[in-house]
Amino acid sequence: MGETMTDELRVAVDRRGASGAVLYTKGYINNVGGEEIANRAYELMDDGVRTLLLNLRETKIVNSIGISILIEIIEKMIDKGGKIGFCSLTPVIHKTFQIMGLANYASIYTDEENAAKELDM
Amino acid sequence: MTATAERQMELTLPMVPDIEIAAARAAGNLARELGMASESIDEMAHAMIEACINAREHSGSEDRRIYVRINGTSLGEGNSRIDIWITDHGKGFNVTEARSRRQTLGAAHKRGWGLQIIEAHMDEVSINTTADGTTIHMVKLGKRSE
Repeated sequence: MGETMTDELRVAVDRRGASGAVLYTKGYINNVGGEEIANRAYELMDDGVRTLLLNLRETKIVNSIGISILIEIIEKMIDKGGKIGFCSLTPVIHKTFQIMGLANYASIYTDEENAAKELDM
Repeated sequence: MTATAERQMELTLPMVPDIEIAAARAAGNLARELGMASESIDEMAHAMIEACINAREHSGSEDRRIYVRINGTSLGEGNSRIDIWITDHGKGFNVTEARSRRQTLGAAHKRGWGLQIIEAHMDEVSINTTADGTTIHMVKLGKRSE
């Protein structure tokens, strides 16, 4: 519960070659935060990224609206023949992803090193 | 088991964006006073967030207020119990329909998962909903953090 009510989600991007990227999130993934992640993800997809890793190490709170937007990102990436992974989730966020079925359609990794290895980034 | 050291808190919150964080933080502070483990507090916080969002987004209440009551109890031997009531004066909802939603990729409706998340993160959940409003009562049982 480190975020404040006025904190907006911040997203940083690290490109990994021509077709890979890591998105780092910091803050609350609500509707606004989810849309911010989606905008960045869609820009990357338009630029040829087909392997996308979301590192949620600095996100401690999510809500169901934010997760529904993450699921939309997964759908679009699958439509493009790509893949999405998530890493560094808190236990509660991991559990919430499983409840909403996100874990059925995207891989979840303990940390970025493991994810990068498995996703061949 | 004897219940002691009861703590109570009541909040009336406006239905504005991100107000759910204030409710979750209040409950988290009370739970920390009782020594509840951080993962249990996080689960409770996520459930409260969903309950407040449901009230804000779906209740249709005219007063645009969320009424929160939090009751913390030490049960002895490092155990604690947090009772939370979240009330709105909206139009109520169909609990059976809300519980039946399931996520599939490509589904037209991806939202409406709040109740499932609440029930998964809390130990007990009961809902009283009528045309005059809804109260969701949630219970989190916790052991003292190591």
